[in-house]
Amino acid sequence: MFLILEVIGLILLGGYELLQVDWRGINLRSPQHQAVEVAVFALFVPSAVLTLISALSFLFLQRRGWLLAAIAQGLSLAVCLWLYSLFQPNYVYPIMAYCILMILYLNSQDVRMVFRTGQSSQASHEN
Amino acid sequence: MKTESPGVEAATALLRRFEPVIRSTTGDKFYPMDVEPYVQACSLWVQRPGEEAVSVVPGGELSLDRLAQQPMDEAGAVHFLKFTDAEDLGPDSRGRRLRVFRGRAKDRKESTRPFRAGRGRLARVGYFSRFVDALYSIALLARGRVPGESAAAASVAYERIMADQERYRYHGRVLRQDGWIVLQYWLFYPFNDWRSGFFGANDHEADWEKIFIYLSESEAGEVSPEWVAYAAHNYTGDNLRRRWDDPEVEKVGEHPVIYVGAGSHASYYAPGEYLTELTLPLPSPLARVAGAIRSFWETRLGQYVRDGEEGGGAGYFSIPFVDYARGDGLSVGEGGDRTWDEPRLISDPPPDWVSGYRGLWGLYARDPFEGEDAPAGPMYNRDKSINRAWYDPVGWAGLDKVPPPTETLEAILEQRADIISRCGALRAEIDDKSRQLKKLGAELAAMRDRSHLDAPYQEGTRRVGELSGELDRLRGKLATDEAVSESLAEYADRLRAGERDQARAHISRAHRPASEDELRVSRVAEAWAAISVSLMLISFLGIAMFEREHLISMLVFSIALFAFVEAGFRGRLVNLISSANIGLAVVATLIIIYEFFWQLVVAAVLVIGLYVLWDNLRELRR
Repeated sequence: MFLILEVIGLILLGGYELLQVDWRGINLRSPQHQAVEVAVFALFVPSAVLTLISALSFLFLQRRGWLLAAIAQGLSLAVCLWLYSLFQPNYVYPIMAYCILMILYLNSQDVRMVFRTGQSSQASHEN
Repeated sequence: MKTESPGVEAATALLRRFEPVIRSTTGDKFYPMDVEPYVQACSLWVQRPGEEAVSVVPGGELSLDRLAQQPMDEAGAVHFLKFTDAEDLGPDSRGRRLRVFRGRAKDRKESTRPFRAGRGRLARVGYFSRFVDALYSIALLARGRVPGESAAAASVAYERIMADQERYRYHGRVLRQDGWIVLQYWLFYPFNDWRSGFFGANDHEADWEKIFIYLSESEAGEVSPEWVAYAAHNYTGDNLRRRWDDPEVEKVGEHPVIYVGAGSHASYYAPGEYLTELTLPLPSPLARVAGAIRSFWETRLGQYVRDGEEGGGAGYFSIPFVDYARGDGLSVGEGGDRTWDEPRLISDPPPDWVSGYRGLWGLYARDPFEGEDAPAGPMYNRDKSINRAWYDPVGWAGLDKVPPPTETLEAILEQRADIISRCGALRAEIDDKSRQLKKLGAELAAMRDRSHLDAPYQEGTRRVGELSGELDRLRGKLATDEAVSESLAEYADRLRAGERDQARAHISRAHRPASEDELRVSRVAEAWAAISVSLMLISFLGIAMFEREHLISMLVFSIALFAFVEAGFRGRLVNLISSANIGLAVVATLIIIYEFFWQLVVAAVLVIGLYVLWDNLRELRR
């Protein structure tokens, strides 16, 4: 649920940022700063895709789902920090805040135990 | 309860009846021997403060009697023996050494099969640990240590003694303590070559190891073994001992089997390869801060902490070593390749070589960590204080709180009688205080709403509060004591019915050899483990030299890459990702706080205000 919300949020945020730029007036040799900021938003596409896949895996309590979600959050946060160090675009802050909450949620004892138990029961079935 | 120690014959018979079987690892060169030929082969030295060490008794002239005299003793002096002689490795001695080796190797399987560390030795420990391990090895160059050729020289000297007369001997002591009969088996090895022979932590001349067996004695004088305790690295108290009927204690008849660590001679209950860690504790202020952060993270934020991290370890930095106790080498004792010679009995009072010589039994390397210094004898520690295993063998293994089976029921009933008597006293006190409280309550009721009695009323209220609290405490104590008494009665019933406690309930940290999975590490993983620390340092150097423009980002990238590959090999990808995410989250949180400090403060105040408003409105609606 939270992961799906994150993907929707990323799409909405990306769409909103895209609409803010006057793309017809862009000079490709010296693009506007704002246009570059929006263009690099594309870096969030892989993590959004991973988040979507992990959300689907979560439905089936697969351990892979937790791993993919954790990788997606780490990737998103790493991109945010990198963009913050370069351009400090405004959209990184809400993404950062959401990722922090998601990381704390994914690392909470209850969630970890659910996926750990899932792993051990899966292993015992395999045996 | 008998208190006198058994006589010489009875003691020897007991020692021989339960003497252990030792199983060593292929490649081990040294086995338990008698101290006398060792001492005869040694020279005695004294190191006085601020002076060079001087030889007091030259090699070949020393005896056990002379050793006890400990000449030139003074404050700060360290007496030590020297077993190895560099001349044994000189070119002139080569033919002699070869003759000794060939003569002995003919009938000894262990000397013809070299030790192999096996796959995955390095890959079994983490990146940081391997790095610290490398630093530890480098530090050895600066620390005092046993010279490199010592192990080979000791091997030659030992082979010479064994060629003269091959004997495997232990030193036995039998004593009574707290209702137990303690059989002490002191095993003396001429050299500990764990570092030079088996990739371990240290080398030192002489090695004293110990195995204790605790017997109970019936009224009829029959003895039966109840507990055993083997000395091993990093284990103390309860964790050292096992109950005799514990399946982990392997036995040949009545003889417990000991798997001896190669080179280190630590004793283990089961064959295998043991990861042993030398733990370097954090300075106490840092440890307190780390503990507080961990507690906040785990309990307040409800965050997951990896297995084995709960409660925080005493040390955050540890240097890992593997202790190989495979049991595939020479075995000595019942059913083994060799038999024990008649034991050397350490009677009571102890012989002079035990009580009179307080020095080290081998080379004093002046190692500040003492790992390379030889140990003192059975009775003493290196600092000349008396060894606890000597004066309190029962407490050493945490057995001081366990009565012998013949005394257990008696101890339970005595304790129950004490508690019942305490309960009686408590009940009387409660009755007394309860009466006082009622009278005070009546007094207070009489004084209420009388303005001229305000002061005594306040005082009375305070006293009632105090007395009420005290009564509550006493009633709580009585309830607990009654529950304990009930529990003791049930325990006594179970014992009468022949039920026993769980054999392993006392163990909080058991010796655990590496599992098959841990040993099954691929060649690529092992190669990676062997080269990764050096490769990482070289890559850092390359980045610093050729990529100065992108120094930080390249360093972060290379560390991430190394960490990712390492975690992949060690099957810890989940932990790595989790730790990396937490690190990123902390940085991002700090950035958000930095960028939006006042907005966050305003938001927090707003949230608190709204919450209070909502809470109050909810109350109004009820």
